[in-house]
Amino acid sequence: MIDIFTKFSGQLFVGLGWTILSSVIALFFSLIIGTVFAIMEVVPSKIARFIGRAYVEILRNIPLLVITMFFYLVIPKYVMKINGFTAGTIGLTLYTSAFIAETIRSGIQSVSGGQMEGARSTGMTYWQAMRYIILPQAFKIVIPPLGNQFVNLVKNSSVLAFVAGFDLMYQANSIASTTFDQINSYLVVGVLYLIITLPLSYYMQYLEKKLA
Amino acid sequence: MKKKFWLLPLLACVLMLTGCGKSLSDQSVLDNVKESNTITWGVKGDVKLFGLIDVRDGQQKGFDVDMAKAITKRILGPKGKAEFVTTTSQSRIPLLKNGNVDAIIATMTITPERKKIISFSHSYFDAGQSILVAKNSSIKSAKDLNGKTVIGVVGANSVENIKKIAPRAKVIELQDYAQAMNALKSGQGDALTTDNGILFGLAVQNPGYEVRGGTFTVEPYGVAVNKGQTGFTKAVDKAVLEMQHDGEYNRLIKKWFGDVPGFKYKELYRR
Amino acid sequence: MSMIEFHDVQKYYGHFHALHDINLEIDEGETVVLIGPSGSGKSTLVRTVNGLETIQKGQLIVNGHDLSDPKTNLNILRSDVGMVFQHFNLYKNKDVLENIMLAPRIVSHIPEEENKKRAMELLEMVGLEKWAHNMPSQISGGQKQRVAIARTLAMRPKLILYDEPTSALDPEMIDDVLQVIKKVTNESGMTSLIVTHEMGFAKEVANRVIFMDQGQIVEDENSASFFEQPKTVRAQQFLSKIISH
Repeated sequence: MIDIFTKFSGQLFVGLGWTILSSVIALFFSLIIGTVFAIMEVVPSKIARFIGRAYVEILRNIPLLVITMFFYLVIPKYVMKINGFTAGTIGLTLYTSAFIAETIRSGIQSVSGGQMEGARSTGMTYWQAMRYIILPQAFKIVIPPLGNQFVNLVKNSSVLAFVAGFDLMYQANSIASTTFDQINSYLVVGVLYLIITLPLSYYMQYLEKKLA
Repeated sequence: MKKKFWLLPLLACVLMLTGCGKSLSDQSVLDNVKESNTITWGVKGDVKLFGLIDVRDGQQKGFDVDMAKAITKRILGPKGKAEFVTTTSQSRIPLLKNGNVDAIIATMTITPERKKIISFSHSYFDAGQSILVAKNSSIKSAKDLNGKTVIGVVGANSVENIKKIAPRAKVIELQDYAQAMNALKSGQGDALTTDNGILFGLAVQNPGYEVRGGTFTVEPYGVAVNKGQTGFTKAVDKAVLEMQHDGEYNRLIKKWFGDVPGFKYKELYRR
Repeated sequence: MSMIEFHDVQKYYGHFHALHDINLEIDEGETVVLIGPSGSGKSTLVRTVNGLETIQKGQLIVNGHDLSDPKTNLNILRSDVGMVFQHFNLYKNKDVLENIMLAPRIVSHIPEEENKKRAMELLEMVGLEKWAHNMPSQISGGQKQRVAIARTLAMRPKLILYDEPTSALDPEMIDDVLQVIKKVTNESGMTSLIVTHEMGFAKEVANRVIFMDQGQIVEDENSASFFEQPKTVRAQQFLSKIISH
């Protein structure tokens, strides 16, 4: 295991870099997109609710690999050229955003209706009440489940390997097929994933305690 | 919370121990297959002409598959059964080492690196690496690939070879040939590289594409078996040699490659 | 001039007829107490006044805005109509001072300094200036309700609606809150519509009493004559029950 690590450390760090980059981009955008669709799912407008619902149900019920392949194979053919890393990261972002939307929606709905009425009765618009009163409370509630989504996101970024996204998993496949040492190749990569995900889950636990 | 910090070293230890264990028993594969009257072969499932699953009946079909059936009959007698397990370039060696299959006949080139961990029969097919491009592509041969993106398949040795011919080519590796072909069609790469036999198969399935520039390596395909299985290896070699002598080998070559446009199948004939 | 006008208002929840033929006019500066058994429609009626509940039929005009017209901008109406809830509904993510300052800042765009000065004055008025930087979870129910009243007053409303403001409080807290409400109604000259079960308080503070039962207005009298001699049997029964308890 140490042999593989020292011999291929360059390749592994490149993989680690792409995995982290993809995860950070996907985390940022899935949080924004997820929040937008979570809000769409709870607003009074029936059309918006339908669109929000449809987005979430479709994206979270299709395997991540299928979404990613769509962006890797179909979009370049008909729309624009995107490489494996981009396709994988877009797939990861959209897929994760559906789960984040679902998490945040339940957070919003667990804030009591009285908070909205209290805010509206002072003349705030629906959006002001959302922004200043409901969402801040909802985010606090959803930190633990959101943390799970972030950890899942990092693990799911291994989908990049299937579209030649140069991530950790891709490098593992490549190292395993050059050395024929499957066990140790994947072991090294497993440990490298833990190096990203363990601090992330501890940080989320810390955040949860701090805000509780 | 504190307890969890034990997890990481513990996990690492467990996994390292499993990594060090002896993986395969020293039983004779030849004895085993004779006893069960069955040889389990690892073959390709997505490579036209060599090993492709026919969606109508779910059976693998191709030159490799027919070779495996013929070798089985010659080792076990006319009632011997050949069973097939679909493998990929990436999974075939682990499946062999774990004992899931007795032998691999899956477009596998005999290379010195592979010989360190598994054994090969004598070559049963002489392939060579080439490239597949769109018919309207400006790429004439592998030498034109510098600065272009070349698609290969994980676990195939073709990726290493392309770097020797065109050092500035950008190489991306995909999971299997179907995906690699789709990626080529989507414009994710400028050329697909692997052995010519496989490429001709892809060209048959995808009319807008053709094999260009001839072969730039020699890729002798061998039947792979586990190390130390000398008896079984010899039996395979004997069977292949018999097939070459009595003409069954050439019949199979003509059956699978006779109709492939641009493929000089007669050069593959063996006496 | 009238502040609130109900003309033949009907409200349904599905098949349930929650408000039945409501006709009511409340003038500017009046303090009106709304009483009746639970489920009689008092809270529903109060909540229609600032549009928290919609009406299905009839006309409802509040401070010149027609609530029966779907195009009416409720946000403008609500910035002139305050509401105090049974369960306070303080913003859990904001401290006491921010609870009071938020709406004047983002709805009325009051300059920060003026806003803060006014908020502190209001906190002083309800006796909670020391609690300005505490979170709602750190203060008692009675204190919460006084903050909620201050929050409402910060918008300088023309009309305040109280929806059972003391029903969720421990008995020893009730008086503090009632004193504050009394002070606000007496000193400001604002129009007030109060739903309450506190009869002593009602008698003291109200100019006018409305008795509701089963979604209908049964009696609409000036306070003194209602408590002396209610006209209807239902009101008499209701009062005798409340007083004997």
